[in-house]
Amino acid sequence: MDGTAEQPTQAEPPQITRRWDGDALFRTLVVLTGISVLIVLGAIITVMVTGGWKAFSTFGPSFFVTAIWNPVTQHFGAVAPVFGTLASSFLGLVIAVPLAFGTAFWLTALAPPTISSVIGMAVQLLAAVPSIIFGMWGFFVLVPVMAHYVQPTARHMFGHVPVLSALVSGAPFGTGLLTAGLVLAVMVVPSITAVMRDVFVSMPTVLRESAYGLGATRWEVMRQVVLPWSRQGVVGGIVLGMGRAMGETMAVTFVIGDSNHIGWSLFAPANTIASLIALEFPESPAGSLKLSSLMALGAILMAISFVTLWVSRIFLARGEARAGKRS
Amino acid sequence: MNENTMQATPSADVEVEASASAVSGRPIAIQVNNLDFYYGKTHALHNITLGFPERSVTGMIGPSGCGKSTLLRVLNRMYDLYPGQRATGEVMFSGQNILGSGLDLNALRSRVGMVFQKPTPFPMSIYDNIAFGIRLHERVSRSEMDGRVEDALRRVALWPEVKDRLQASATALSGGQQQRLCIARTIAVRPEVILLDEPTSALDPVSTARIEELLDELKTEFTIAIVTHNMQQAARCADQVAFFYLGELVEVDSTARMFTAPRESRTQDYITGRFG
Repeated sequence: MDGTAEQPTQAEPPQITRRWDGDALFRTLVVLTGISVLIVLGAIITVMVTGGWKAFSTFGPSFFVTAIWNPVTQHFGAVAPVFGTLASSFLGLVIAVPLAFGTAFWLTALAPPTISSVIGMAVQLLAAVPSIIFGMWGFFVLVPVMAHYVQPTARHMFGHVPVLSALVSGAPFGTGLLTAGLVLAVMVVPSITAVMRDVFVSMPTVLRESAYGLGATRWEVMRQVVLPWSRQGVVGGIVLGMGRAMGETMAVTFVIGDSNHIGWSLFAPANTIASLIALEFPESPAGSLKLSSLMALGAILMAISFVTLWVSRIFLARGEARAGKRS
Repeated sequence: MNENTMQATPSADVEVEASASAVSGRPIAIQVNNLDFYYGKTHALHNITLGFPERSVTGMIGPSGCGKSTLLRVLNRMYDLYPGQRATGEVMFSGQNILGSGLDLNALRSRVGMVFQKPTPFPMSIYDNIAFGIRLHERVSRSEMDGRVEDALRRVALWPEVKDRLQASATALSGGQQQRLCIARTIAVRPEVILLDEPTSALDPVSTARIEELLDELKTEFTIAIVTHNMQQAARCADQVAFFYLGELVEVDSTARMFTAPRESRTQDYITGRFG
């Protein structure tokens, strides 16, 4: 090459200007991939909002306060599926959080290391089971059990108690809010357990030993030192699980019973935003008000999920800041 | 440096006193007999026999990894938290072999308190840090608890500094204050023995001096075992000193004799700074 041949004769100092080595191309590529995430997210939001615009403009604010879903009269409202989404997720969390806490506590404080790693692995595998499997399991196993044993027993026990009777009323279909909550609980337990285990483990060993050194039992250490120390992270994990539960579609669609209905009964069929969309989308012609209403529901679900995710990030970040400060 | 100056350096700092006889005259609070300790397959302590005289300070010195902290963790069975760690031999404390089975570990740890290298305030208020240990073992009225908390804080000379902010978070205190808080938390439970694992290695010289003064007062009431890397600290605070090397107890003697006329050449080498 010319350059190499001339160098010895001119005896110039070695050049420190940049050579073209593909850096610029690589930089451009990764910037584009990064930006494409924003573009995709923006496109999704745009489609949901513009698609749902017809519903928002037709019904106005009443879309958010009406519990009617009537394709015949072309009257749609979001309240029932929003209620079903929040209620089934809440039930799922009420069941899942104690299970996840117990598992994480046992794994970090009590279980022998070999058993702890095996169970820890099983928890991870549970998280990897596709949701359709949970849906089928819920439909073929859980629904009959709920219909034949759980609801009749609950009605027998609480059917005559003034307030509780409302919670157990209705025909024993087996499908309903509580069944959906149970399936959701099984699905979100792994992720909540994983987060809780991580925050419990991240606590400095000396802090834990200090508490043991004062003569505290394992439960006292967990209750009075580990939990206060990791509170933020624990809440963050729970909210993360809530986000998962609210968006879950297939498993819930199988077992919730699909009824646009708001009521007190834990056993009454209901619907969620995700299940309603999954069931009605194929029957909604393009450009129809129904399709637009489904899109509007989708936009609402996204908004709820964003807020949930945002809140969980705040809690987790605070938890990490605390951990960093103390380590 | 020649041999003579190296020998003279540590002994110059040591105030030779009659502590040796005072220590040997005291009853033994904890007697360790033929103790072996294993981390899994690693043999960390070899056949240790050592007595901790009542109401005096036993300093434990030796290079890192020599097993002195391990011995400390045997004395309150802290190692029990970790599977794979085990001890054989005998550790006699108040007429009982604490290595035996069927021991109430929580009761043992309330009688053998521990302070760590780094200050470890719990994420709660100053008041609750002290009250935490008391509440674990006793049911006391609010006013008695106030008294116990104040007493513990006075004992470590922290009371004047924190009495107006007892409900403030303990993590906001300075490092030296936090370490004194941890000592207060330990003595509030009213133990008989206090184990200190390099309690001043994370502190500045002023805070270190305050802790050392504190040890002098505490030893009138408690049996103290302190692990330290600071030779001067051992010379200043301890009544007897034990030198560990590679998991063995090389030598134990009164502080004065240990720093002026050690019997073993390895001890001599270590305290004069030739290795470690």
